[in-house]
Amino acid sequence: MSIASDLRAILKDSRVLDAPAELRTYAYDASFLTQLAPRSPDAVVIAGSTSDVSAVMRYASAHGVPVTPRGAASGQAAGAVALEGGIVLALNAMNRIVEIDVANMQAFCEPGVVHATLNAALARHNLVFPPDPGSSRMATVGGMASTNAHGMRAVKYGPTSAWVLGLEVVLPDGQVIETGSVGSRAKQSSAGLELTRLIVGAEGTLGVVTRLRLKLMAIPPARAIVLGLFDVLENAGQAVQGVFGAGVSPSAMEILDERCIQAINLFRPNMKLPSVEALILFEVDGNRPGVCWDAERICEVIGPLARSTEWSDETARINALWEARSLVGAAVGTLRPGSNRAYCGEDICVPVARIPETLRAIQEISARHRIPIATYGHIGGGGLHPGHLIDGRDPDEIQRVLLVADDIHQLALSMAGTTTGEHGVGAARAPYMAQEHGPALEVMRRIKAALDPRGIMNPGVIFDVPAGLPLPLGEGGGEGFELPLRGPVGEPAVATIDPG
Amino acid sequence: MLACIRCGACLTSCPTYVLSMNEAEGPRGRVGLARAVAEGHLDVSPNLLEHELNCLVCDACSAVCPAGVHMDPLQVVFRSAVAEQRRAGWMARVVRSVVFGWLFMDMARFRAFARAMWLYQRSGARWLARHLGILRVLGLAEAERLLPEISRTFLTPHDETFPGEGDSTSEVAFFAGCVMSTALADVDRATIRVLQRGGYRVSDPGGQGCCGALHAHGGDLPRALDLARRNIAAFEPSEGPIVVNSAGCGAMLKDYAHHLRHDTAWSERARRFSERVRDLSQVLDPTAFSTHPVTGKSESEKIVYQDACHLLHAQRISRQPRDLLKAIPGVELVEIEEAGLCCGSAGVYNVTNPAESRQLQQRKIDNLLKVVPDLVVTANPGCLLQLQSGLAARDRHLAVKHLAEVLDEASAP
Repeated sequence: MSIASDLRAILKDSRVLDAPAELRTYAYDASFLTQLAPRSPDAVVIAGSTSDVSAVMRYASAHGVPVTPRGAASGQAAGAVALEGGIVLALNAMNRIVEIDVANMQAFCEPGVVHATLNAALARHNLVFPPDPGSSRMATVGGMASTNAHGMRAVKYGPTSAWVLGLEVVLPDGQVIETGSVGSRAKQSSAGLELTRLIVGAEGTLGVVTRLRLKLMAIPPARAIVLGLFDVLENAGQAVQGVFGAGVSPSAMEILDERCIQAINLFRPNMKLPSVEALILFEVDGNRPGVCWDAERICEVIGPLARSTEWSDETARINALWEARSLVGAAVGTLRPGSNRAYCGEDICVPVARIPETLRAIQEISARHRIPIATYGHIGGGGLHPGHLIDGRDPDEIQRVLLVADDIHQLALSMAGTTTGEHGVGAARAPYMAQEHGPALEVMRRIKAALDPRGIMNPGVIFDVPAGLPLPLGEGGGEGFELPLRGPVGEPAVATIDPG
Repeated sequence: MLACIRCGACLTSCPTYVLSMNEAEGPRGRVGLARAVAEGHLDVSPNLLEHELNCLVCDACSAVCPAGVHMDPLQVVFRSAVAEQRRAGWMARVVRSVVFGWLFMDMARFRAFARAMWLYQRSGARWLARHLGILRVLGLAEAERLLPEISRTFLTPHDETFPGEGDSTSEVAFFAGCVMSTALADVDRATIRVLQRGGYRVSDPGGQGCCGALHAHGGDLPRALDLARRNIAAFEPSEGPIVVNSAGCGAMLKDYAHHLRHDTAWSERARRFSERVRDLSQVLDPTAFSTHPVTGKSESEKIVYQDACHLLHAQRISRQPRDLLKAIPGVELVEIEEAGLCCGSAGVYNVTNPAESRQLQQRKIDNLLKVVPDLVVTANPGCLLQLQSGLAARDRHLAVKHLAEVLDEASAP
């Protein structure tokens, strides 16, 4: 009997896939790593209920089969791919908003609810779930919780973990628990160990999240946006410190470098942004007089450092600027015809004061490896997203971009930063965890072993470096990569199919 | 194909993904499958083909793709490349070859067929077929319901010129379509009248025929290109924009340049042709001619404009038809939920994939009925028939009209 037929026999509300073509579509996420080395699972379960998830876990635990929970697979770290085979447990179809408790400002929902869908439903009650990944239209709340996604508004509202009050979790042995006190609707608690915070950010290595209790807030009545253009990168860094020092607490502070500005102009030609070394978008929210005061104060503080500043509280202008920002991650691919973005080394976070220095160093890495890099990020929190552009058909560029990613990860650590600010470790950052955490990594492994003694939950991410992937070898990298790549990756398409 | 960075931005826009929540039924999965086949990692299997052919080619994914992947032409090429490996039954192959290889290739035959259907509807044969249960036995009940009430007189383009009204008349050439010029010939005639009142001198070049979209999306690119070349040649003597009132045809006509770009004899001619193509809503001035309410009622008329995928997504046209409707006195234009989600018509999808098509149709009708409109307007024959048949089955008397018909009524002298 195959895993798939076993599962079909025990599951009631779920679909099980095992056709090679279907499995292939679950072999990757948005990471460059899985683009180079896709890994098909043995079976996919499109889960329909908590009881089915529990049944899958009981089966997997009895047979020692790896299980990889998956949301939208929009992650960029190879965190939702069956690196060691087994079952991909797709939770995207568990997408009901179970309840919106308006009076207590809480939402109960299944993990597959898409972030934008949730906020659209909440908006009818004038409520919002504030963590906002740039990928709102595809990211699921389960995926956000599992990676502890931060996003653009974390600078004021904090990461996803700050807004998760409780979880229903299926443990690796199939037991279903509720964290954050059973049946509770309290907004805070000091009762016992914070299991919710342990599961949030665990990337599905400790259990499967099947329901979330989310904290909400009222939609701030007013917003304004300040656009600052900086001829000199270092001035942008000083501007951020100046704004914080002036007592303003922006709800977002996003930096785009020169290449990103070019990409936006290509994507939305009517934006007509000037060519400068850096652009920062500051968003402030709150009551109307307050946001106007904040916006004017920001302009006052950054004015002497900037080439120009403008602010607006018009919805159309705010939305246009945010749309451009939220799409820039993928739109940078348009900068170099024939090239695409390779998501690797894309999520470092460094101390805020060292951002200009880090951006300059990224430009040096770009020049050294001859790979164009467009960088943007959440400058208020220090998060940077370097976007590397490569021709995916050129094996030499593939090799070089892997070196770029390694250099960028090392750069982050040398700046007293981290290899991942908000996307998660996955397999892509697993080689750096020993260097980043020291003996603390061993403590993490002990916690993992206590909850998942058979090691079936999402193996190959965070705690151990998976084999056979193009990852840096040796502690701290620098010793080349586990190559050659499997299969004829990067070869031109066969003659009968023109990619157009 | 290589442009896809797998970000997943397309997923929630895709009708078949939304229905199934299966990655293989979404755009990212389909691009991944095409690439895996092209790179030799995956064999073409019936399962793979099923997932590919379940796609409606509504292009909603292309419209939201930040990396610039354009699914429609990619799928035309992919479907043609794998066409030989499709294991369709002999019956399906015969039907396909008769319909696409013979019927749609020649407008004289197509008109003869449409006339036979007209006779079927008017002679009492339909009444008999429906009441004797013959259609159910043949499994044709659903398909038969989609058959439009066929116009009595067809429109046969033959280099006629219709004069424009007013002083400054500029030239447009009208693309009449195959289904439009026969089954929906009344809409074609309304379109010509509306263009005339809009100040255009309208020509209908002879020799034109089917646009070839159904062939291209069905994996028969060679025949689609034959039709494309015929249409290009037919329109070359004419002047001005080539105006089309069917969203699906318009998108295909605009893609001729892409599909023929490697054909040295035709690439330049195709480019010139595609550059001239405009949807009806792109050439009309909203303020020019809508003078009175569509129904003659004094109170307001609540209208839903249902976006055709091939206008909204493929041609990125959404504002112009709305502006035209809003300019009609008394019209209150209302928006529905999931306005950008396909109604399930998608060319012949409602015949090839009846189950999925029906789910999308019912979803669309649920969303329509929620706002309780007086009239639904669309600008594509497929959507028109799909919505009409869906509403008829739910016993509602809500009318669905083509944009041209509504504009014709609003501007009639």
